[in-house]
Amino acid sequence: MKNNSVLKRLISNPDFSRLLILILMFVLTAVLQRNFFAMRSIVRNIDSFMPLILMTMGQAVVIISGGLDLSVGTALSLLTCVLTSVMRAGVPITGLYALVVTFAVAMAIGAINGVGIGYLRIPPVIVTFATSFIWLGIALFLRPTPGGETVDWFQAFYRIRNIETAPAFLKAFGEIIPPSLILILIGCLVWWIVSRTRTGRYIYAVGGNSQSAYETGINTAWVQMKACMINSVFIFLTALFFVGQNGSGDARMGDPLTLKAIAAAVVGGIALTGGRGSVFFALIGALIFSFVSKIIFFANIPNAYQTLFGGLIVIIAIAASQIYTLSSRRTGQESKLT
Amino acid sequence: MTVLEAREIEKRFGGVVALDRANLVCRQGRITGLLGANGSGKSTMSKIITGVYSADAGEIHYHGKTVRYRSPNEAKLDGIAMVFQNLSLVADLTVWQNIVLGAEQASGLFLNNKAAIEQSREIVEQLLPGLDVRRMVHELNPGEMQIVEIAKAISEDPRLLILDEPTAALEQAQVKSLFQTMRELVKKGVAIVFTSHRLWEVMEICDDVVIFRNGRNVADLDFSKDVKDPETIVSHITGEAGKAKTERIRRRENQEIVLRVSNLNYGSFIRDVSFELKRGEILGIGGLAGQGQHELMLALAGNYAGVAGEVELNGKKIKLNRPASAIRNSILLVPGDRQLEGLFLGHSVFTNLIFPKLGLKAQPLFTPENKYRKEAADIVDVLSIMTHNLDMPVNSLSGGNQQKVVVGKWLAFDTNVLLLADPAKGVDVGAKRDLYDYITEQVSENKMSVVLYASDNEELIEHCDRLLIMYEGQIVASLEGDEINDDAIVATSMRVR
Repeated sequence: MKNNSVLKRLISNPDFSRLLILILMFVLTAVLQRNFFAMRSIVRNIDSFMPLILMTMGQAVVIISGGLDLSVGTALSLLTCVLTSVMRAGVPITGLYALVVTFAVAMAIGAINGVGIGYLRIPPVIVTFATSFIWLGIALFLRPTPGGETVDWFQAFYRIRNIETAPAFLKAFGEIIPPSLILILIGCLVWWIVSRTRTGRYIYAVGGNSQSAYETGINTAWVQMKACMINSVFIFLTALFFVGQNGSGDARMGDPLTLKAIAAAVVGGIALTGGRGSVFFALIGALIFSFVSKIIFFANIPNAYQTLFGGLIVIIAIAASQIYTLSSRRTGQESKLT
Repeated sequence: MTVLEAREIEKRFGGVVALDRANLVCRQGRITGLLGANGSGKSTMSKIITGVYSADAGEIHYHGKTVRYRSPNEAKLDGIAMVFQNLSLVADLTVWQNIVLGAEQASGLFLNNKAAIEQSREIVEQLLPGLDVRRMVHELNPGEMQIVEIAKAISEDPRLLILDEPTAALEQAQVKSLFQTMRELVKKGVAIVFTSHRLWEVMEICDDVVIFRNGRNVADLDFSKDVKDPETIVSHITGEAGKAKTERIRRRENQEIVLRVSNLNYGSFIRDVSFELKRGEILGIGGLAGQGQHELMLALAGNYAGVAGEVELNGKKIKLNRPASAIRNSILLVPGDRQLEGLFLGHSVFTNLIFPKLGLKAQPLFTPENKYRKEAADIVDVLSIMTHNLDMPVNSLSGGNQQKVVVGKWLAFDTNVLLLADPAKGVDVGAKRDLYDYITEQVSENKMSVVLYASDNEELIEHCDRLLIMYEGQIVASLEGDEINDDAIVATSMRVR
């Protein structure tokens, strides 16, 4: 009896449909990609999924708080440029300086967006659209063309074995659990902690109904600012990976990720109106999104149609989970009444 | 002991004076009724005390010191809690998350959810036994939401509790348990400010009353010295000398059936509902709150696509699966929650009045602006909607006048059936009378047929020719003529009979 009701509750959960879609995508990819279960492919897949996953989780935090960040792409680019500008090849300690300086810049980016959204009450789309050009401008100033210097140990954020001086056991460890996975886990840990504090609760409250939250005595502007700064942490983690991988900064590299992260968050069930959705399901949204591009790549679809099919699959995924949500509710009107 | 004294408070919104040298005194262990028509400044006063608004002039003394709160948080830290008229709940959080919102206790780094659930359950248990605190707020009905809002304020353990129309969404039994809780709080020395449009509640619970009209004090009555007379209070509120209660006219029997509903079903909300509505009749729907009355009204207005059953209008079968089909059959709904369902709050009176017309099939390509403006001006006249001009945004009007706009937007249509879903919820005495006068007139002169659902039994008793009582989605009793009285309604609602 009890088992039955647990199953029922699981199935009636709208997020269940997302898990089903994810499993479907996973199976499709496994069928299409040769050596899918080989260690090397797994690591490569995690590497290629990781930026979108982290960026989507960060974006999800902002969206849940009632905002939207169109500047995440250029913010990411800017952080890679800052990292590679502070570091000097062959001087290991500069890597540490770069981490500190870049983290500070990341926080400043979040704070500036947060001031615009929370304190000045400018529509988030406008604020972050404007700041995205500011980040781009500074990035282009620092690094007009892709390049820059890095220290050797920074490759630890991508492949530990590429560092010649690293001890053997660390190299072996990096082959089993790649740094990109660790960065994702750090991101998850950050949100796991935040979601268990007041801030986490308030992010949902402010996004759900900011007037009510204000009347309850919550400092809504400060909460929105914190949401933007948490997003910055995720962008920062992504930037570390990129610089570790490429050994250079690029003022243009982050652009395509902005809208992808928003779309992936929606696939993961984050409501653009704010207040609804789970950051961990945003991760699943990003995975679905990533598998889609894998499937298209391996399905031998002619180049010219790849983008088209990618868009179609995403829409079908969203529509499927939407229909599922509506039919599993008692009434379709429920949301209207509230 | 005086807990709070607000002296000579002034507040303007744009050109509109909301408060003009208004005063309010609250004493420890007493319940002060704050009365007045909609738009008289009650809510504004409450919001100034709690720091949601800041006053333009005047001072507030709280426990002997002058205070000036800049945000609700500061007031809360000083022990002032408020139950907001338009609820300060976050629909996407659970009941217990809402109750402790803003006052979460942490053990170490993380929040102590167990204690919060326990604490919430304790408070809710007093007010509404059986409400599961783990439910999401958006799943609750309006009465339950109101209870949660009250529980939230009580959980802060306030020294001054401001209740701004807490009973509008509650049914009688819930009001009683709220009063019980209020009395217990008062015994502990809490000062309470209580606002309501239902006079019997004020009579029952308040120790003294302050009456506002147009932002000014017009009367301060202390019930331990002054007489408790509802008529005097009403005359203070409306500013008119005591008008005799309108005698209820029993309308002539008419056997022509306008609307026949048979075996209407919708999920668990509406179960096998059948009834007939005659021409020129006001058919009441009553019962405890949340027994499917609201859903029945929405279903009749075509809001539920999945509704099953047969509906005949003037002998012709019709389908009610879209709002548009109901409207084209001239079945028109005045929803109770005008803020959510009936109006485009930020738009002008004019836009709101003509909006239903734009949905008609035969609509000219270009909207005939001047013609419609004249029509809208006529409607404003007929219903005596108090507005500066047609271009005022609707949310700048008082609640009663907003509701008149909701009624007004259907005036240009030939009405077969008018559905009123708690039309007087949160509407003041004067506007309520205007509204019902107009509807009664339409019924007796133009033979309009009305289905009226009201959460206040008094409205049903006063206006209905027949009354159906709903319980758990079913019609359990039908009262007619002199059977329609408070005792009978309460008894059948609770299924005593």
